[in-house]
Amino acid sequence: MAIQSPSLDIAGTAPLGAALTPVSRGYWQSVRRRLGRDPVTLICGAVLLLIVTSAVFAPLLGLADPYKTSMIRRLYPLGSPNFLLGTDELGRDMFSRLIYGGRLSLFMGVTPVACALLIGGSLGIAAGFSGGWVNMMIMRIMDVFYAFPSVLLAISLSGAMGAGAENTLLALTLVFIPPICRVSESVTTQVRGFDFVDAARASGAGALTIVRVHVLGNVLGPILVYATSLISVAIILAAGLSFLGLGVKPPEPEWGLMLNTLRQAIYVNPVLAALPGVMIFITSICFNLMSDGLRAAMDVKA
Amino acid sequence: MLLYALRRLIYLVPVAFGVSLLVFALVHLAPGDPISAIVPPDAPQEVVDKLKEYYGFDKPLPVQYLRWLAVTLTGDFGTSIGTGRPVATEVASAFGNTIILAISATTLAFSLAIFLGTAAAYAKTRIVDRLVTLISLVGVSVPHFWLAIVLVIIFSVELGMLPPMGLGPENATGWRLDWPHIQHMILPTIALSVIPLGVMTRTVRATIKDILNAEFVTALQAKGMNDRQILFHVLKNAAPTCLAVMGLQAGNLIGGSILIETVFAWPGTGFLLNSAIFRRDLPILQGTTLVLAFFFMMLNLTVDVIQTMVDPRIKRG
Amino acid sequence: MFKPISVAVAAAGLAVFAASAMPAFSQGTLRIGMTAADIPLTTGQPDQGFEGFRFAGYTIYDALVNWDLSKADTIADIRPGLATEWAPVEGDPKRWVFKLRQGVTFHDGSAFDADVVIWNLDKVLNDKSPQFDPKQLAQVRARIPTLVSYRAIDKYTIELTTKVVNSLFPYDMSYVFFSSPTNWEKQAKDWNKVALQPSGTGPFKVDRVVPRERLELSRFADYWDKARVPKLDKVLLFPMPEAATRTAALLAGQVDWIEVPAPDAIPRLKQGGMAIVTNKYPHNWAYQPSMVEGSPWTDIRVRKAANLAIDRAGLKKLLGDMMIESKGAVYPGHPWFGSPSFDIKYDPEAAKKLLAEAGYSATKKPKIKIAISTSGSGQMLPLPMNEYVQENLNAVGFDASFEVMEWNALVTFGFQPVTGDASKKAGTNGINISRATVDPYSAFMRLYHSEYVPPKGANWGLLKDAKLDELIDKAHTSFDRAAQTKALADVHSYIVDQAYWVYIAHDLNPRAMSPKVKGFVQAQSWFQDLTPITMQ
Repeated sequence: MAIQSPSLDIAGTAPLGAALTPVSRGYWQSVRRRLGRDPVTLICGAVLLLIVTSAVFAPLLGLADPYKTSMIRRLYPLGSPNFLLGTDELGRDMFSRLIYGGRLSLFMGVTPVACALLIGGSLGIAAGFSGGWVNMMIMRIMDVFYAFPSVLLAISLSGAMGAGAENTLLALTLVFIPPICRVSESVTTQVRGFDFVDAARASGAGALTIVRVHVLGNVLGPILVYATSLISVAIILAAGLSFLGLGVKPPEPEWGLMLNTLRQAIYVNPVLAALPGVMIFITSICFNLMSDGLRAAMDVKA
Repeated sequence: MLLYALRRLIYLVPVAFGVSLLVFALVHLAPGDPISAIVPPDAPQEVVDKLKEYYGFDKPLPVQYLRWLAVTLTGDFGTSIGTGRPVATEVASAFGNTIILAISATTLAFSLAIFLGTAAAYAKTRIVDRLVTLISLVGVSVPHFWLAIVLVIIFSVELGMLPPMGLGPENATGWRLDWPHIQHMILPTIALSVIPLGVMTRTVRATIKDILNAEFVTALQAKGMNDRQILFHVLKNAAPTCLAVMGLQAGNLIGGSILIETVFAWPGTGFLLNSAIFRRDLPILQGTTLVLAFFFMMLNLTVDVIQTMVDPRIKRG
Repeated sequence: MFKPISVAVAAAGLAVFAASAMPAFSQGTLRIGMTAADIPLTTGQPDQGFEGFRFAGYTIYDALVNWDLSKADTIADIRPGLATEWAPVEGDPKRWVFKLRQGVTFHDGSAFDADVVIWNLDKVLNDKSPQFDPKQLAQVRARIPTLVSYRAIDKYTIELTTKVVNSLFPYDMSYVFFSSPTNWEKQAKDWNKVALQPSGTGPFKVDRVVPRERLELSRFADYWDKARVPKLDKVLLFPMPEAATRTAALLAGQVDWIEVPAPDAIPRLKQGGMAIVTNKYPHNWAYQPSMVEGSPWTDIRVRKAANLAIDRAGLKKLLGDMMIESKGAVYPGHPWFGSPSFDIKYDPEAAKKLLAEAGYSATKKPKIKIAISTSGSGQMLPLPMNEYVQENLNAVGFDASFEVMEWNALVTFGFQPVTGDASKKAGTNGINISRATVDPYSAFMRLYHSEYVPPKGANWGLLKDAKLDELIDKAHTSFDRAAQTKALADVHSYIVDQAYWVYIAHDLNPRAMSPKVKGFVQAQSWFQDLTPITMQ
């Protein structure tokens, strides 16, 4: 059993690369069928879909202006007339801010993982497929980043570059490239050893063709499963950075920042102050459950 | 075995070099002027220039790097710009405090995780398994810094049971193992242990489940071993994986306690790092990050070596 | 709300009497939660802004000129400290003679005299001297811009010379502290070692400095001013940058006193029996506009419109009443307030009219962009406050936006005038740094005089008004106390009538303390006196 040590694996869900079997025809249909029979994953998917679509289409929902302040209606409790979820410390509509907040929070969670998936995934596949010194070079560079605990790396990077959404995105992307790269490298290395890859190579297919036709289909599943498990980590990390004052800047609605600015109101209206935390929690747990569901459906061994 | 450990250690040298380069580069990524952190709002330019010269920020970057590396290698991390105290002593005292917290949080998380994970894997009813899975999921999904604040409000402010901040009582210096100090540790330990609890419970549960499905367990049962003896064998086999995850989690706690330390004003490396970032105190930022990264590297190495000792089939690198 | 103070004043009076009559007896330990993230520098000139001066300056050290912090009902003014009297030389007002106090000893037992004064001035002004400390220099240089030379006349007399005639020079000297040369020798001539075991002449001596954790002070029984020998045995100071941590620590009984409680936590603190102590003090939270060509602010109607657009009462509500609505750079009732004819108040209709007169409309709005910080000493609650002001300005027809940055970044930003690269790049035409208006130099000269453009001073917007310069100079060259106050009032009336800044708020310096703290008098000052306090 080859044990990887994924240092960033806050969620502890990295596919450890054991017992990877070649993907057969009809594999994706069976994945879909299995997902269809898994109510937990379906419910989580539906909740996420709801959060994502309401965030994306927030301007079309006829919500109150999330930036409109009013000193008269500060910290209204939940269920106040016209303010379903109350108002924040500047009298802004909480419901609207929570929906709008989803835009940035989800964006901060998904974008770095997607970017890291693209960069780290390509690097990892290249390293795994090429082997030799290319592998050596790429993986040793990744080792340097691996020498930092993930939170430390994210905080040092955004601490150095200064507060702001762009810097947080950059820092988080850098944090996620090495683990994705490592997982991709390990699964690709295994696939490379399969007979059909040797056969394709023997028939004179080019490296790119082999990767595209034979490797990608086999490695994408495990890599994607791993990446979805990182989204919840990214959301919590981004919220933590905002909480420290290193992430998104006010007055932008973002859940981590809202938690931070509502912190004092916790004595006045504790339930209200807890709402952004609840949103982070719901989103994060849905991503985690969905990642589990996908893993089970794709039969990636944990 | 010794040879293996030695080989892994040598292999760390180029990585360590890369780490130092990254640490150095990272603090210079920043916009703005480090000197601005130590002068008051109305200081005139001549003063700013004088200080710049005094601290050597006027030298070119590669020279600054080599100078920094040279002194760092002798164990001298320079002096803090903000306080003028040696970085080495600043980091050392803070590091000790962080380690104490990380150890207690890891211990709490690991013992609970072993219990919960094993219970779930052995569970006859789905309810127990589901419950444990839920606990572990909550652990990795809850924003722990927010949980910390909630804990303070409930247990310190409203119930008045535990102190909300600090390392220990006001008349003591440094950490000691006595009841007042333990009281100060309870809330930060709980808040810090949530994530590793979630991660390790999942790992323990999955690993033990795997092993229980393996053929040798059936063989052991066939041999007529009782449940307790089998559990011993199962745990022994699960140990390498669980150990690896625990080591990494401990490392992540040491590097990642910044949020918890900020909430509890715990004078550890996270607290130090936070104030260094906002004061743009470059030597402290570099020193802390470097020490933490090296510690993390050594911890990874140790975990690797121990794992290999427990199960010689695993060899990497 | 002010009840504890009046009781406190009476108690303080009694206590002073008691202390002079009786030997010191145990009056307990006071534990304070500061907003700073670290212990302020203890070597002499503290860092961490005026909070550093408050807790590691006037506690451990004395200046030649101290502040009288014993009264809550009038603005704090200077009084003799390590100097007993001072006066400019007859016929040559650039030269000042200070008579030093005799019989003063440092905490380490060494004596204070003219040599010590010269040694300390060399410490910050003479980079050739062995005791030169650039860190202390950085903290004090901008406070003494006119001091050029100094010499000892005899053991207890010194002469200080200023670059220009400056009748207000004694105020400058209230920021210069005196550390013990003997102690510096003892600590191997290393200021970093001195920081851990400092020695001053102040009412409190330092027992222990635990970096980032706490500063322990205790009573200096041999303090020269017998009326100000502390009643307390000990004062412990804790750095607690998080407002939520401070609130929790006070409510849980871990500290007895916290600086700047968050407004929303105040009801809970009161419910927990804590006293909220406030007082006005010379603080000004305003927008300093760009006065260079092309800036909309050069039109007085725009400046007046902005001043009339802001609903300060609403802002006060946001801050839980912890502010005074500005009507100028100093608050009404301040001796320098004068009698401006422009009344700064909330009148959005008048503001709209002024903008229309200035040629602006819904399609052509005056664009303003203010550089603001996320936090900082004296910045109050910069983000929500600025968001609220933005809302007000836009409601009358401004197009207001912000350049948000960290506190230190904003401070650096202010080191360059509006014409510098930083401001050009950000496209800002205003800056929001709260200013201490403690003395006439920091209140007017450095901010409004055309010669004091950064880096020399803090006239960031390059305001140039010959008449104003003349008024300010007049205040700084008049040696008669009443005439000086009158001149300063004229300066203030003039800048309000010209609406040179957008005046918004004065902080009330709230602090929360446990009912066990007795005898505290909150002076109208950035600094406070801890000596009369007792713990019950």
